[in-house]
Amino acid sequence: MSLNPSKSAAPYIPRLQDTDVALLTAIAAHDEAALAQLYDRYRAILFGLLMRILNNREEAEDVLQEVFLQVWRKAQDFDESRGRPFTWLVTLARSRGIDRLRTLAARERVAEAGAREPSDEISDAATDAFKSEQRGLVSDALAKLPDEQKRPIMLAYFEGLTQSEIATNLGAPLGTVKTRMRTGMIRLRELLAGQGESFGF
Amino acid sequence: MVHEAYKEMIPARALSALDAAEAQTLNEHLENCDECRKELEEWQATAATLALTSEPVEPSPAVRERILSEVRKDLSPEVLPFRSTSRNIWSSFGALGAMAAVVLLTALIVGLAVMWRQNQLMQEEMAQTKEFVELVTTPGARVSDLKGVDLGAGAAASLAYDQNGHAMLMAKKLPRPPQGKAYQLWFIVGTKPPMPSKTFSTDKSGTGMLKDQMPKEAMDSAVFAITMEPEGGSSAPTSPIYLRSFEVN
Repeated sequence: MSLNPSKSAAPYIPRLQDTDVALLTAIAAHDEAALAQLYDRYRAILFGLLMRILNNREEAEDVLQEVFLQVWRKAQDFDESRGRPFTWLVTLARSRGIDRLRTLAARERVAEAGAREPSDEISDAATDAFKSEQRGLVSDALAKLPDEQKRPIMLAYFEGLTQSEIATNLGAPLGTVKTRMRTGMIRLRELLAGQGESFGF
Repeated sequence: MVHEAYKEMIPARALSALDAAEAQTLNEHLENCDECRKELEEWQATAATLALTSEPVEPSPAVRERILSEVRKDLSPEVLPFRSTSRNIWSSFGALGAMAAVVLLTALIVGLAVMWRQNQLMQEEMAQTKEFVELVTTPGARVSDLKGVDLGAGAAASLAYDQNGHAMLMAKKLPRPPQGKAYQLWFIVGTKPPMPSKTFSTDKSGTGMLKDQMPKEAMDSAVFAITMEPEGGSSAPTSPIYLRSFEVN
């Protein structure tokens, strides 16, 4: 992977990823300290994701625990040639989160979006592997998508709805939902491609 | 269905938004299509960035504790909980109680000895892993990946080495060699005869480690390969290659 010197943040992220790969290698050999380190790097971003999916602290913490125990047991299955540690961890956490959501049949989650207790501290970015700039880049890219493309993507990713369910939910024909989701994803990828090095694509 | 039609389904698959029947059709196609699998991996990377739109939130410190204590359970051998009992339980059983006490004590001593040995092995393994990570993170260090071929299919190894030629190999999923045999690492430069490195074995989980000083000639352009040799090692390979690196370092 070549580094683009024109982006000041770029050289930092691949370095982080190298460290993540080294940590996963150590975890595969049952190094407990490496697991603790990986947890500290990712806990806030993964917990934030699980809170968004489940909107329930207890459930989200339980799934977070499951995710890292799975990392402990499956680290040897991680294959660097098939994707970055970030993608692997996020995909694992999101899929566990959606599974839990389905199990709970909690589609009608406690609707208060503001239900977060004051104790849900927004993480201190210093311990977080992903600085706010990276998060800002994704939010900016997403903001550029038309709502009709963005909504199907968000409903699928954070609520685990299938295309048919989204069509019902939005009252739109299935074919239209499929097209909008696909067009939206392609556009999102293009928008992020300019920031590729920051995300390790 | 044609290949292009499958490709169109991949972004939705990365969001796991396909309806069950479509998901199943695509999954069957993915099993036989490297190109689509690669494409799915790329779309998954795009989908994963969506996680960054959630605000990071701190879980309670108890979660970290719970995870690490579960992990420690994995690491330590099963030990039956020891209940403190009052002395007169034994006396009420008389001779039988005394015999039971002897049996229990013997079991405890044997158990402790086994635990001590396991602990020692684990410490060794952890020390090696730490050394490997330290080597990988040394400035200027390089890592070359070896993939299993033919007889070694499914196995993988990483060879890390620093500028002074301190090299360490870590192999995974490599079956234990039969009695009297060991794996041996080779440095192959151009068309010259392979230069022998040391031999190593693997444990039950298929993990093996090796440390060696890499010859100077191998540091700039070599292919690394692993074969199975007699336990003492060979001066020239006598078996097919089990694992090899694919890029000249």
